[in-house]
Amino acid sequence: MSNRWKAINRALLGVALTVALAVPLLIGSNQYNLVLVTTVLLYAVLATAWNIIGGMAGQLDLAAFAYLGLGAFTSGTLLIRWNISPWLGMILGGLVATGFAVLVGFPLFRFRVREVWYALTSAALVEVLKVAFVMWEEVGGPVERYLPYYDFSLYHLRFGTYLPYYYILLAFLVVAVLVNRHLSRTRLGFYLRALGEDEDAAEVLGVDARTCKLKALMIYAFIVGVVGAIYSCMYGFIHPNFFSSPASTEVAILGIVGGMGITYGPLVAAIFLVSMREFLRANLGGHLESLYLAIYAVVLIVIALFRPQGIATFLQDGYHWVISKVTRSDHVVKADSTGV
Amino acid sequence: MDIVVQSILNGALMGCVYALITLGLSLIFGVMNVVNFAHGDFVMLSMYFSFLIGSTWGVDAVFTPAITLPLLFIFGIAAYYLLIDGTLRQKYVTQIAVTVGLMTLLRAIAQLVWKAQPRALPYSVIQGSFHIGAYNFMFSRLISAAVSIVVIGGVSLFLSKTWPGRAIRAASDDLDAASLMGVSYRSIYALAFGLGSALTAIAGGLLMTFQQVDPTMGLRFGLLSWCVLALAGLGSIPGLLISGLIVGAAESISMTLWDPRARSLVVYLIFILALWIRPRGLFGRK
Repeated sequence: MSNRWKAINRALLGVALTVALAVPLLIGSNQYNLVLVTTVLLYAVLATAWNIIGGMAGQLDLAAFAYLGLGAFTSGTLLIRWNISPWLGMILGGLVATGFAVLVGFPLFRFRVREVWYALTSAALVEVLKVAFVMWEEVGGPVERYLPYYDFSLYHLRFGTYLPYYYILLAFLVVAVLVNRHLSRTRLGFYLRALGEDEDAAEVLGVDARTCKLKALMIYAFIVGVVGAIYSCMYGFIHPNFFSSPASTEVAILGIVGGMGITYGPLVAAIFLVSMREFLRANLGGHLESLYLAIYAVVLIVIALFRPQGIATFLQDGYHWVISKVTRSDHVVKADSTGV
Repeated sequence: MDIVVQSILNGALMGCVYALITLGLSLIFGVMNVVNFAHGDFVMLSMYFSFLIGSTWGVDAVFTPAITLPLLFIFGIAAYYLLIDGTLRQKYVTQIAVTVGLMTLLRAIAQLVWKAQPRALPYSVIQGSFHIGAYNFMFSRLISAAVSIVVIGGVSLFLSKTWPGRAIRAASDDLDAASLMGVSYRSIYALAFGLGSALTAIAGGLLMTFQQVDPTMGLRFGLLSWCVLALAGLGSIPGLLISGLIVGAAESISMTLWDPRARSLVVYLIFILALWIRPRGLFGRK
């Protein structure tokens, strides 16, 4: 029976991956649609990475774009100044983001800054970095710095179309999901989950909260920093506005409304909410600039109020219902927090 | 040297308004432990209401709180019953998701109605400036600071002398005990939320006498008021005022001596350092 389940799970994953691989072919040569699906993927990767620190460890991090910006600036500057390939730049960008995370996270966790205060500190970090990079004229400054343009250059990671970025981000998404799944089966993952449920109780039972949270933050910052390098190549420039508070908050919101701690939750939320937002923006934007944002906000509020466990639980319920029909067994385990 | 003192004075005057905004936030956070991410956007909203009333009927910005105050009070109570009440038993992240949703909604509405360009009222009765020695004071800022201090004092009296005020304090100290003494937590929470947002109406009216408003303003005031609150800690109203003065003065000095762009940098650094070094705040009780 459990083998059958595994087989079904595998089949489902295979179908999902095939669909994801085929999406660019289905939408054809329309660059705008390609930008949309790439944006959805970008947020999906960020929110899935966020799940490690936010969903599992329960630390409401609002600094996603701080780490993303650091990664983007590291790899972008290396490329512009010394013509160093973003493939190397993305590793270095990830390391810089991780280093910064340690620099900030160590004292924060040491001084037991948590919950709301951690959230607000991380939100402030994004703004601090933004201003700092505007003022740091050698690297940032108020003007965009453009990456060299190439129609198709693997070395420079610069392409005339979004298609390669789509597949690169898809690969990152797979990695991010795998990291999540792997973590949820290791000791660190269980510790993080315990911390997310009740930090004091977990500490009493001997979980080293400081080290565990710092590890989670480092993994998250590294993934986001690497994505930052792709981000700068994709848009072709670097600018201090990359350090964006609203975007960082959105990543966390995707993680929350997707379902805290559910591996596929942020992914589901990103696909559903970001597509909806972009669809509304495209269709309403011409008439009323911000109507799409208002509708988006109302949807957020409604989900948070009426489905606080996250929208991924809808899928879980549906999945378990289907499984129970297929296997004709009545004793199916209900949706649990470890994901599908 | 004069310029430093001058900028400290200017900043301190601004700091009184910050303290007033933060008082609203601290009522909401202190009493029901709800993290209101939309608080800065409440300020933005009341500034727009002041602008709307001022520009439609030609009322001076200083007097607009007469109308915006009850409006924001009702808005706060409505927001509590519609949004916050249902999340009280959820994890705090759900509350944050809801208030972030509210924040986004308010910002979107402001953009829809008033468009993205900054708005300001043409004049105010409290204009001009005067000198004391070498120092120059703007009337508008001076009166704003004075009104803020008076309102803060009034709220402080309300909290210590009246029954609803005492009920709010009791609920923030120990909700269960307060409930046993006959305090209905729902109405107290609604009152605190209404009062907290009503205070932004006064701040909004005062700010409109010398500032313009744009839809992205909420973020700045939001983080600013959290900074003042982190520095002050919960439960001390004089502490709130002093922290407001410190933050305002620091912001102003950094603009004068370092770089105008550095103002937010300094505020956020104070915020982060305050949390690292003294998580209870300088004057906090808990």
